[in-house]
Amino acid sequence: MELFRQTNIDFLRWKWWAIGASWALILVGLLAIFVQKGLRFGIDFAGGTQIALKFGSRPEIDHLRKILDAGNFGDTGIQRYEAPEKNEVLIRVQQQKKEGRDITADVLNLLRQGLGSQADAAKIDLNTQGRDSLAARLTAADPDQVAGKGGQTPADYYGRIAEQVIARRSQMGLFNSPSDAAGTPGLSSNVKTWLQANASTGPFVLLSAENVGPQVGADLRQKALWAVATSMAGMLVYIAWRFRSFPFGFGAVVATLHDTLITVGLLAIFQREFNLVVIAALLTLVGYSVNDTVVVFDRIRENLRTPKKEALEVVINRSINQTLSRTVLTSGATMLVVVALFFLGGEVLNTFALTLIIGIIIGTYSSIYVAAPIVVIWKQWTGRRKLAPVPAAKPVTPAPANPPAKKKSGRR
Amino acid sequence: MGKRLRWRVLLILLVVAGLVAGYVATGYSHAQKEWIGSGMPPFSDALKKGIKLGLDLRGGIHLVLQVNTADAIKAERDDAVEQLQSQARDGGLTLGAVEYPSEAAFTVGVTPQTDEKKLDEIVKRWLPDWNVGSAGGKWTFALKDQRRRETADNAVSQAVETIRNRVDEFGVAEPLIAREGAERILVQLPGIDDPKRVKDLIKSTAFLELKLVEQGPTTDKAALLAPYSGQVPPQFELVEEKAQSGQRQPGWYLVKKAAVITGRDLKNARPSRGQFGSSSVTFFLTASGAEKFSAATGANVGKFLAIILDHRVQSAPRIHERISDTGQITGNFTPEEANDLALVLRAGALPAGLTYLEERTVGPSLGLDSIRKGITASIAGALLVFIAVVVYYRRAGWNAVLALLLNAVLLLGAMSLFNATLTLPGIAGFILTIGMAVDSNVLIFERIREELRGGRAPKTAIENGFSKAFATIIDTHITVIISAIFLFQFGTGPVKGFAVTLIIGLLISVFTAVFVSHTVFEIEYGRKQHIDALSI
Repeated sequence: MELFRQTNIDFLRWKWWAIGASWALILVGLLAIFVQKGLRFGIDFAGGTQIALKFGSRPEIDHLRKILDAGNFGDTGIQRYEAPEKNEVLIRVQQQKKEGRDITADVLNLLRQGLGSQADAAKIDLNTQGRDSLAARLTAADPDQVAGKGGQTPADYYGRIAEQVIARRSQMGLFNSPSDAAGTPGLSSNVKTWLQANASTGPFVLLSAENVGPQVGADLRQKALWAVATSMAGMLVYIAWRFRSFPFGFGAVVATLHDTLITVGLLAIFQREFNLVVIAALLTLVGYSVNDTVVVFDRIRENLRTPKKEALEVVINRSINQTLSRTVLTSGATMLVVVALFFLGGEVLNTFALTLIIGIIIGTYSSIYVAAPIVVIWKQWTGRRKLAPVPAAKPVTPAPANPPAKKKSGRR
Repeated sequence: MGKRLRWRVLLILLVVAGLVAGYVATGYSHAQKEWIGSGMPPFSDALKKGIKLGLDLRGGIHLVLQVNTADAIKAERDDAVEQLQSQARDGGLTLGAVEYPSEAAFTVGVTPQTDEKKLDEIVKRWLPDWNVGSAGGKWTFALKDQRRRETADNAVSQAVETIRNRVDEFGVAEPLIAREGAERILVQLPGIDDPKRVKDLIKSTAFLELKLVEQGPTTDKAALLAPYSGQVPPQFELVEEKAQSGQRQPGWYLVKKAAVITGRDLKNARPSRGQFGSSSVTFFLTASGAEKFSAATGANVGKFLAIILDHRVQSAPRIHERISDTGQITGNFTPEEANDLALVLRAGALPAGLTYLEERTVGPSLGLDSIRKGITASIAGALLVFIAVVVYYRRAGWNAVLALLLNAVLLLGAMSLFNATLTLPGIAGFILTIGMAVDSNVLIFERIREELRGGRAPKTAIENGFSKAFATIIDTHITVIISAIFLFQFGTGPVKGFAVTLIIGLLISVFTAVFVSHTVFEIEYGRKQHIDALSI
């Protein structure tokens, strides 16, 4: 099978249109960022608290909000997370002015008090307490009377039991009643009775909690910027050295910057949050975009080595055509992977995948329409007037000495 | 098979066998640690545990703490003031009021009658780390920069040690406690899902002092100070009671400033049962501590002794008789609290306060979910790519599929050998590596097709295709590796995990795409003298 066979498209003919379109996209993105008063930074960069909870039954967002209002947290966002039937909720609390407050603990306490029953207050909440708390409680109560009997210490004995109970919770997602916990295989009847009497199952399980201080947020932002800036500089140097030509390095870096800017702009339009995962995606995209550009440049360099006197534009056009099939195929294959990630990878990888989907499309376009044209424009501006104006759409691929091969896939 | 070809096949088999064996061996060593039963853990466990999972995948707590080194410097300053005053007293000098303009400096009032020469000798002898100046009846002491840096540095290293002791006592498997930069400490505790408890445990300074009570407790601070005309006398200090739940207002104690014993005199501490079945902590003193304690309690029978933890009075029992080497701390403890207090007392006090800069907790169920989804997505993506490649390149496509599979296996093996940690972004890096590996194959196949189109014989086309694509593949891989190295250098946690996977994966991708694919082509077509056509 072949998608492209010896295409002969005069890509450079539309270079000014392409540059116009690129600028338009960049400006739209910048405008979106400007209108939204900056990027929507996630807590990684802005600081603050983010808590993901899984509830036993469908949570009422308004009710949760009312409960949390009592905490005076300031700006608080509550939204559903993942698929609705999973009953998961994401709570965000802004950076607090007063330091030293344990926001995660405060939020969880308020919710537990607001949603749980009073009778359960003294019992251990198996849904929010972890292995060690359960082990400590069991060790103190010692329902199986292992203390003083020799053999293993009570702490070890109950530690293992607690571990099994919590592992069962991870498997089930959440305990709906103490009986669920007592149903953990291998428990002695004493432990089961103890659990039924002394354990409660609160309304939610803590999936994750993140709290980033303002200092760290600023640090991460700076580090991310550094990472992007230095990796681009590194690539510029390598490409400029490898191709013995500054315009090539420059073209690659402009194309990469172009992709990054447009992708960031589009993420702003899609109202996606800007966090560390997006930075990782942007950096991947930088790698991909450069990869694409280098493949085209490599072919240009190879074609320039032939002794034939041809205009640079002709050579570039031919190179793009020759690599077109690989460009499209690779982008397509990568796209398959990223699309799988987008649909199956879950909430965390979702934004990562979206960033790459945008990035791959833009990156493929830019290695054809941005990187190479910039080399041409640069050389024209710096007065290499040897370049004759290009005769349009002349067959750029010289007919091979042999008759054109038949459709290859037919051969066997 | 030619001799050269045979060597190449051997090399490939060696690399594959080495990495697979490395993976299985690492898996066994990891599984062994958690294996409770006798004998070897099952093979399936070893397969699952070959790669260390990051906190985001296995669940756990990630903390970044800032050590408030100013606390340690302040303590150094207070020691110096103490030293200066006691030496001056011994030398018969009277010093004026002490003022504290900053945490690393203090001034002392010096009257004209004072023998300045003698004072100077004392300072030279006992306070060598301080720069001294005098002006307007005051001597100003400033901690020397070098000493200040050392103090801060020691405080951080000591805090790392203390936290490590506490975490070890807590019993966490494979904890990571590392210094990050000048004043930060990174703590990663896999498998722990009790953020509040761990945070309190790490952060509590656990500074224990036992001091004799002069007056109190009372909620009325003014009444307490009334006999001293409203001023706290120099040998005493005011300490607040620890707020108990249900109590309206905590009371105040007036206690002797000099502690009878401190946490440093402790030999051991363990949770115990108090009088009414409530939880308490019993402590045991070192020989020198017991000596001090027995003297002080013997001389003060009938008085109250305040047990002060982190500058709050925990309880103040009456001294019934001389106590020598053991005591009990009571209070409204839950069993967990008593457990943790005993733990931090055993592990030692922190030299300075800590502030949490960053904390991330991932529950075990979220980690499970992420792994499941990440793996599903990876397998689905890989399958799609395999189908596309085989449809497009026919028989040569299978060659690419083999290279990709090998790539995945080798990457897993290499990550396990380097003891690299797989994180969620790492899975993404893994997927992207596969993308780059596909690209290398596509580049080669397209080149071969072009050569065929140009009328070359199949064998020459393969050779030319590989050699021409080689430069491009090297270029693309090096460029991306360069960017990944910068990511690793300047990135943080998750970005680093991504970069590591990418770098290892790209190196392997060069090997599989260029070396292995080429060898497979040669095995397929090399023996034949003449090939009519390629399925590509």
